[in-house]
Amino acid sequence: MKIQKEKEQPEIPTASMADIAFLLIVFFMLTTVISATKGIEHILPQQDKDTETQVEKEESIYIKINADGTYTVDQKEPRSIRDMGFLKDYVYAKVSRNYKKPIIIHVNPEANYESMIAVLDTLKQVEEQVAKEGRLPADKGLTISIPTSAELEAWGY
Amino acid sequence: MKLRKTKTIEAYIPTASMADIAFLLIVFFMITTVFQVDKTKLILPASIVRSEVVKGSAFVVVTEEGYIKVSDGKEDTHPIDASDVLSFAVDLMSKDPEHHVVLKVDKRVKWHVVDKILEQLEQARVKNLQFLTKLKTNQQ
Repeated sequence: MKIQKEKEQPEIPTASMADIAFLLIVFFMLTTVISATKGIEHILPQQDKDTETQVEKEESIYIKINADGTYTVDQKEPRSIRDMGFLKDYVYAKVSRNYKKPIIIHVNPEANYESMIAVLDTLKQVEEQVAKEGRLPADKGLTISIPTSAELEAWGY
Repeated sequence: MKLRKTKTIEAYIPTASMADIAFLLIVFFMITTVFQVDKTKLILPASIVRSEVVKGSAFVVVTEEGYIKVSDGKEDTHPIDASDVLSFAVDLMSKDPEHHVVLKVDKRVKWHVVDKILEQLEQARVKNLQFLTKLKTNQQ
């Protein structure tokens, strides 16, 4: 006599799939940081001797940031770091004619980091404006350099 | 006359696609998740021009007191000496010369501290740098 065994269909339990998925969702939601990590980009100079060009102080826009929260542009009288309108107009007038004009930011060692960012931000705003007007070739930016104190010493500033 | 009872249809919510929806959400969160490498609390300077930090950038953090912490973008930040930034940067550049470095510096820090770091980064031939800022609002 043949005994007919009822065959059990093999299956994977999927009832808990949603639970597993939601657990993962909760994990990723908790670890996600949608924080505002944004900043100002700056390209550091590469120390290649052949690309290095000597820039005369007179040819450039020379911005000096002082320790007391003021800045001086090209021998003009010092202005407060909060008054950025002058710098913007001054740099814009020069750069819109020649975007390659080097800009040197000389920061006093005792000046606050905030002051430097304020100046750099203003320069980047000018850059955006000039780029919008089509006076800047694509993939090109203003020539902004922030020399370190060792470089400043070497240049004799 | 007796009215015949209408057959009630049992109400139910289809749950078959629940897992699909859940997995879609998981994929979204997995893609957007950025494991924060640094949780140091400091006051960032404000700026109007800002661009997105590249995912996986290395971090150099300077607190108000002048303590320096670094991270290669994968691990959490760890404190190092001011003069060890060079070796950290050289190590980083040997793996990827195009690696982005983010400077997260408190706005009250004096420039000479940042200057020393910049000098070492330049020596290590770091190319892409970013100064972390917060959005400038009209009040400032």
